[in-house]
Amino acid sequence: MQSKLSDIELIEQTLAGNQFAYADLVKRHQRFVFTLAMRFAKGREDAEEIAQDCFVKAYRSLASFQRQSKFSTWLYSIVYTTAMTFLRKKRVDTDSIDDEGTFVQVESQQSAFDTNNIENKSRSFYLNQAIEQLLPDDATIITLFYKGEQSLEEIAQTMGIETNTVKVKLFRARQRLKEKLERNLKHEVKELI
Amino acid sequence: MNTIEEKLWNYIDGTCTPAEQEDIARLIEQDEAYAAKYAELTALNAEFATMELDEPPMAFSYNVLEAIRYEKMLAPLKATINKKIILGIAAFFVLSIVALLAVVCSSVQVSGNSLIEISIKLPDNLKVLATTSMFNKTFMQGFFVFDVILALFLTDSYLRRKKAAKQA
Repeated sequence: MQSKLSDIELIEQTLAGNQFAYADLVKRHQRFVFTLAMRFAKGREDAEEIAQDCFVKAYRSLASFQRQSKFSTWLYSIVYTTAMTFLRKKRVDTDSIDDEGTFVQVESQQSAFDTNNIENKSRSFYLNQAIEQLLPDDATIITLFYKGEQSLEEIAQTMGIETNTVKVKLFRARQRLKEKLERNLKHEVKELI
Repeated sequence: MNTIEEKLWNYIDGTCTPAEQEDIARLIEQDEAYAAKYAELTALNAEFATMELDEPPMAFSYNVLEAIRYEKMLAPLKATINKKIILGIAAFFVLSIVALLAVVCSSVQVSGNSLIEISIKLPDNLKVLATTSMFNKTFMQGFFVFDVILALFLTDSYLRRKKAAKQA
């Protein structure tokens, strides 16, 4: 059972030497951190490695957390930096992190498979599938905005960009997500949304 | 210039100014195109909010704490080893220098005529090794072979480390 203490209280207890407090903090944020890592890694093993690395890094620099922003915003900025570093390392094996073609290939294979099973899939399945087909930056912005309870300013802080840039990126990411969703669902999209 | 869609998203997100908000609200009421687009985008917005988060493995938090414990365990061990090695090396050099200075100082003889004339004599019981007999041809060949093997071994381990770091 997770404690009802606030993030700050758990941080204070962790800094005082209580490791169980940090375990609670990890349990509280692990799903979101893992999801963010999945947006970059596209594989559970890599995502787990990124997410674990983030929590270890956060623990290491917990004392330097200024508490001027939410703990989640600070943590997500660690996730974003770690995931970007991971992508840069992986770039040796792939063409480019901005190359949408890498994801289109997966998409077309998925689509062919899905036409046969379309009636068995839930709405959230199609949405998550469309998010997976987005570029990591687009998927991250969408996830932070809709599931991370982050304002545009906080997303800007996490990603290290201007708030206006986040606004533009969010708009474009939504458009791309809508296109992917429509493509995946083909004619059934109108019924579903 | 903002498109209808961009204006409506700003309206839905509440990121436009109060004046813009009023204008857009009026347009949604009066303009059918705006009303239709607004309905579409609010539905999409609600749809996006239903996205599900991925579930990490069961042992995730345990693994994180284990990684932290392991890191903590390594840190003091590293420090102890390094400190001892460094202190040992430092002690060896300090003792060598002190011993050498002691030998030199004890054998210094200052003559009465001039302070500049200093003659240093090594103690009689200190025998300097006969280097010519020690550094013979076989010894030198062995020494070079050993050096080459050591250099190859160190280069190999350095390249392996570099390759592993690249792959990580």
